[in-house]
Amino acid sequence: MSDPRRILLADADAFFVAVARLVDPEAAAATRLIVGGRPGSRGVVCSASYETRQFGVRSGMPIARALRLCPDATCVPVPRDACAERSRAIRDVLGRWAPVVRAASIDEWYLDLSGTESLYREPLAETARKIRDAVLEETGLSVSFGGGTNSLIAKLAVEHAKPKPGTGKTGVHVVEPGLELAFMERVALAEIPGIGPTFQRKLADRGLVGAADVWRHDLATLSRWFGERAARWLHDRARGIHDAPVAPREAAKSIGHEDTFPEDLADDAALEVELRRLVERTAASLRADGLVARTVTVKCKDFDFELRTARRTVRTGLESDRAIADVAIALLGRLRAARRVPVRLLGVSLSGLAEGRTGGQLALFAEAQPAEREKDRAVSRAMDAVRTRLGSTAITRGRPVRRGSA
Amino acid sequence: MRFTITREKLQEGLSAVGASIPSKTTLPVLANILVETTDKGIRLSGTDLDIAVATEVAADVDSPGGITIPAKKLIEIARELPPNPVKVASSGDQRITLECGRSKFKLLGLPKDEFPAFPAVKFANALRIKSGELQQLISHVAFAVSTEESRPILNGVLWELRADRMRMVATNGHRLAKMELPVNGGGGSQDLIVPPKALEQIRRLFPAEEELEIAKGENHLGFRSPLTSVFTRLIEGPYPNYEQVIPKDNDKVCIADKALLTSAIKRMSVIASDQTHRIKLSFNAGMLKFAVQTPDLGEAQDEIPVRFDGDPIDIGFNASYLLEVLRFIPTDEVKLTLKAPERAATIEPEAWKDPAAFLALVMPLRLVD
Repeated sequence: MSDPRRILLADADAFFVAVARLVDPEAAAATRLIVGGRPGSRGVVCSASYETRQFGVRSGMPIARALRLCPDATCVPVPRDACAERSRAIRDVLGRWAPVVRAASIDEWYLDLSGTESLYREPLAETARKIRDAVLEETGLSVSFGGGTNSLIAKLAVEHAKPKPGTGKTGVHVVEPGLELAFMERVALAEIPGIGPTFQRKLADRGLVGAADVWRHDLATLSRWFGERAARWLHDRARGIHDAPVAPREAAKSIGHEDTFPEDLADDAALEVELRRLVERTAASLRADGLVARTVTVKCKDFDFELRTARRTVRTGLESDRAIADVAIALLGRLRAARRVPVRLLGVSLSGLAEGRTGGQLALFAEAQPAEREKDRAVSRAMDAVRTRLGSTAITRGRPVRRGSA
Repeated sequence: MRFTITREKLQEGLSAVGASIPSKTTLPVLANILVETTDKGIRLSGTDLDIAVATEVAADVDSPGGITIPAKKLIEIARELPPNPVKVASSGDQRITLECGRSKFKLLGLPKDEFPAFPAVKFANALRIKSGELQQLISHVAFAVSTEESRPILNGVLWELRADRMRMVATNGHRLAKMELPVNGGGGSQDLIVPPKALEQIRRLFPAEEELEIAKGENHLGFRSPLTSVFTRLIEGPYPNYEQVIPKDNDKVCIADKALLTSAIKRMSVIASDQTHRIKLSFNAGMLKFAVQTPDLGEAQDEIPVRFDGDPIDIGFNASYLLEVLRFIPTDEVKLTLKAPERAATIEPEAWKDPAAFLALVMPLRLVD
């Protein structure tokens, strides 16, 4: 038998809160801190300090509700650029320790240290502690590590590692090979990624709440209850079995951004300005990953929470702000024509992603040139370069400024 | 209304009209087929408002009338019927009974007045064209239309009618197909932009030897044979000036065996990128070399003997554009002409003994180093 795999999940502790405290003096001074938006804004909680979470404040909760639960909390907006920058910094440190690092989100990374046994010559937990110290020293941010023989165990273990005040946890929890079942015995099914509220209810109807509850039933019984595929999946996950490799880079299927407005927007011109901003942010992420996108989707949540989307796929991949904005604005027009009511939220996402400019197809007719010209791409890249050096507000297109500041 | 029809005639009529019935519609009557009695039998009509098809089949009419019947159900019933005469009768303007041997069906239809009127097209000064000639043009050209919504004009096939010739052109902006036939006795000069869906029906519905009457209404085009008629919406607008992009000064000429060329391109496209289908062609005296290189996948080379006249040239193409065009080349040898790596290439049949003329253009893909 080959050596068991050595997988770690690095999870930055209260990442947005921690970054806000590093870059925002107001946040630095507050114990009870909510990152997501100003009081009175309609944003949602992006992250809350452990001290605020004791009041029941959770990520994804509207700011207004969070403030009712914890009235004296300080609310600050998300320091987006700083977060992206610190996330990269953490990733860089992790990359020096582990041969394979895969970002699961802006503040979570899977590390595959299989094959490094003879390099580090120490238990996995010890290596995790060293990486944790290195990250803290170089980035000023604290990262917790869960570890085990697969990514599922690592993900579940990290919850037992988080050094929340009063828990005495140290920031590292590694499940030793062979002890997976003993560990899973304490895990609730709801903690397993992929088991959402609906599945939880179905499981609870059968008396299945803890992972160990599943062990009492054979695969045939589970199949009868949940269907063959779900049964196989549940049977394995409840035992902490998960064979998927930590792929070095799982290609993103889509890239998107959305914004909930401080107040509903009814004016088409104002919506267009917001849409252009979203496009600029989304397209910048696209270019940063060296990708082009063929499908543009615009999402619009009306004042009454009705959610509508429109999408269009073009022949060749786009990357420039202008070309993507052209498509997005046409789509917004379509959504507005169908229902012209005040809008609460706009979102843009880009999919049909491909690496680099794979195009190069020449056109027969001058006017049939692709929606995007080399000039558009050059402008976008130049703006990216300025923003990288001087910050995201250093340069912007003329149009949003003129209308947006009016 | 009451008539008796053979199962085969009913199936024949329904298969002609069925393709024009929309699969989804907001107007319920469009999901129905209009059935009306005529002097010689019955007429079946269907439309999705873009295209309308009507056809007449023989039947014994007992009492005249008309009604609309749910198309999908009627087609399914006709398919399953035993091989006996089918008796169809309506009572009131919505109820239909259908009997065949011991099988009996009752269906709920809609009044015939709800069925939309067909476009007004006057056939008084109609053009007369042999169906087979039209089919030849359609089957060589229609494949090249654009399926992108960004330029609606390219979603249609340009059909140029002149006194002595007719021509069809289709393009998606990257490659173009053009075919021309001499005709005599044609009417005036007209340029029509026809949706390919309608042309596909023309190709399918009219036997090659039949002479069609073709007439234009305000924004519609009608095709008519003694038994069947097809109407289609026309696409409006000026078609791009395609003559201008047909190269006149391509000075490098290659004659290749079509089968050899096709199979070499097919081999290369296995390794070509799924995104661009990019392959490189290097033309040299006597030899055409192929190369493809796709990151994360691999590379491949091939070569075939050709007759080539001109300075050597390396040029990139979308392999699927080339293969598409080669499918429609009617001769064993094919002639390619080129000028430069960023200029359009032409592809034509070589030594074609036919009054028709076929030409395809393919724009290159930029080569990356």
